[in-house]
Amino acid sequence: MRIPFILKTVSAALIAVASLAAHADQLSDIKKKGEIVIGVLGIDEPNSFIDPKTREFIGYEIDLAKAIAAKIGVKPVFKQIAVAARIPELQQGGVDLLAASLTHNKEREAQVDFSLTTVVTGQKALVKKSSGIKDVPDLAGKKVVTVKGGTQEPNTKKAVPTAEVVTFENTQQAFQALQQGKGVAFVNDEASLIAEHAKLGDKAKDYVILPQNLSVEPLAFGIKKGEATLKAAVDDTLRGLEKSGAAEKTFLQWYGPNTNLKFPKRSFKIDSDKIDG
Amino acid sequence: MFDLSLLLTGPYHDMLVKGLTLSLTLLGLTLACALPLSLLLALLRLSPSRTLNAIAWSYVELIRNVPLLAHMLFWYFGAPELLPESTREWLYGHDFETIAALCALTLYTSAYMAEDIRSGIRAVPAVQQEAGRALGLGFLTTMRLVVLPQALRVTVPPLISQTLNLWKNTSIATVIGTAELMYQAAKVETATFRSFEPFVFATVAYLGLSLLITGLGTWYQHTHPVRAHA
Repeated sequence: MRIPFILKTVSAALIAVASLAAHADQLSDIKKKGEIVIGVLGIDEPNSFIDPKTREFIGYEIDLAKAIAAKIGVKPVFKQIAVAARIPELQQGGVDLLAASLTHNKEREAQVDFSLTTVVTGQKALVKKSSGIKDVPDLAGKKVVTVKGGTQEPNTKKAVPTAEVVTFENTQQAFQALQQGKGVAFVNDEASLIAEHAKLGDKAKDYVILPQNLSVEPLAFGIKKGEATLKAAVDDTLRGLEKSGAAEKTFLQWYGPNTNLKFPKRSFKIDSDKIDG
Repeated sequence: MFDLSLLLTGPYHDMLVKGLTLSLTLLGLTLACALPLSLLLALLRLSPSRTLNAIAWSYVELIRNVPLLAHMLFWYFGAPELLPESTREWLYGHDFETIAALCALTLYTSAYMAEDIRSGIRAVPAVQQEAGRALGLGFLTTMRLVVLPQALRVTVPPLISQTLNLWKNTSIATVIGTAELMYQAAKVETATFRSFEPFVFATVAYLGLSLLITGLGTWYQHTHPVRAHA
């Protein structure tokens, strides 16, 4: 599209200029402003989505982000952003913190700093039962749809090199494309996939999530590169929540057996900002 | 900092070139489909029949007053749902992302081009049409032999300008997963985490061809000036 393209070109040039100039400590800037701007996806149950009654953002990442804002002593301001805009928004200072289902991987470590891992999930594929596809290797040579700008596309290519991947601007469009039969499989984070599968209602029985993971995804909050004090504030809050048991309670509230996602228990701890591989 | 080698060789170069090729293909195919369609529409708009006139008028206004982005989404997500199952499956098996983009671009561009052609024809004095009819030629024959050749000189520059718009508009097809230049640039960005290089490539490609098209327009106006009517 024309406008984002111009914006990207201009902003890429701006980053180059801005990175030359020395910048102040971001944590003290946040305290001075009295608010922390948190980039969220807002359409990604259960991490961040809109409560249909109150029209406010709710979810697992939202709760953690609110706790971080409270610990710093500022007001949380949520800003909805697109998957592909997450890292550019953070780098350009549009948001102070990313709580946007951001996968922590080696490639991204050169671009942003990551908090402690907040949730460990995997990417999976949803298919129509009538397609006869039983597991991930069956996707070879088939058309797979997913969302633009995330790790879904590279991970699909890694798991099934011969699959033809078509990407869309948001998960809804990719999911729509699957339902209309434009691709045989829809790839997304497991948690989002379960939530979307549940939204199908009566038609959910015609679809199935393939058992094999395409990838294991540790999700974490994104922090601008080199902002050590902000990272320390975020990590301290998360460590505190883990210690008090609040982190596990929050996880079960959004992912647990009584939710659409029905994760029976939490199989990870919030204690590390390191990843394998 | 700027990694030129990324653009000149290797897999990312290939992806960008593939995108550029598809963008050019979209431009070529759309022009080939939109030109005859727009001529037909312009003639309908000028025809003596009120019904034909109204049909063409509705088409032009309906298409021109809806954003191209909406056209793209409609042809990709909406229109196929109206087709019978077998046709739909056939389409989905044949690079439907490109077919839908081609439909949207053709219909959109032809509405604009039709208006340009119509004004070109209207710029030819009515007496030319009357003289043709007086000689015993029919409406279409007069158009073909008398009016259109004169109208062509007036029409070509705005049509070249529409071609320029069309070239830039092909980039909107990225929203429906058509693997054109902007799509591939975004893909390279995702894979390499480098925003600058792929979008510089895209900018140079769009700007380069746009300037070429503008140059063509200027050249045509110099070599084929509109003849003054006595």
